[in-house]
Amino acid sequence: MNESLLEILRCPLDKAELTLEDAEYDGDEIVSGTLVCTECGERYPIEDGIPNLLPPDMREGTPA
Amino acid sequence: MDLAERRGLETEVYQPAEDSHVLASVCGERLEDGMVVLEVGTGSGYVAERIETETGATVVGADLNPHACEQARERGVEVIRGDLHEPFGDGVFDAVVFNPPYLPVDPEATRDDWMEVALSGGDTGREVIEAFLTGVGRVLAPDGVVLLLVSSLTGVEEVVEFAGEYGFSAAARADESFPFETLTVLELWQ
Repeated sequence: MNESLLEILRCPLDKAELTLEDAEYDGDEIVSGTLVCTECGERYPIEDGIPNLLPPDMREGTPA
Repeated sequence: MDLAERRGLETEVYQPAEDSHVLASVCGERLEDGMVVLEVGTGSGYVAERIETETGATVVGADLNPHACEQARERGVEVIRGDLHEPFGDGVFDAVVFNPPYLPVDPEATRDDWMEVALSGGDTGREVIEAFLTGVGRVLAPDGVVLLLVSSLTGVEEVVEFAGEYGFSAAARADESFPFETLTVLELWQ
């Protein structure tokens, strides 16, 4: 993901802003890291360039 | 014949079909360079890619399905794994585009795979559309629009009525007939 996306991404739970931690870059692309909610502290992983912003209770329980 | 057989053999990610083409064509006419656009349920990323190449708009795709996220990213689409419009800020999109899961399905005949998630709109066909319409106004910019694909199988009038309850006006921007359904693209605005 491009770092500019941080401006439009929010925590799905409380719509608060997210901060980026432990980012690894490939050029301008963030390929891995963690997005952390500035309000509730929930942590959302970025893997293979794709942030997973599903609420924790939706990360499991979907078909394989 | 179950849903997957009706729509081909792919079982993980919905591939571009008539509905995708109809929606992408309307997007090409209605969206412009400089807009910031969200495609909910981007799937293979086909519609998002066409919007980017045909209009110059900046497009972000979102999908629940991790396999879809991978395919869309391989196409060059900026993609977020998320539920509908939930992980986005208030008022950030000039347009939100959605080809939803819209087929009414018999709960006893459902399959437990990603294609089911991509196709099934619950017993009315409108369950995901209604969840989408309930919250999409939050992420739209003041003059923002929604471009929503609706099938005659789902009920266009019912969708327009539901959208009206959430403050949206509606106009049909395309109507195309196919053997099993008529596909309509609704433009919605507040």
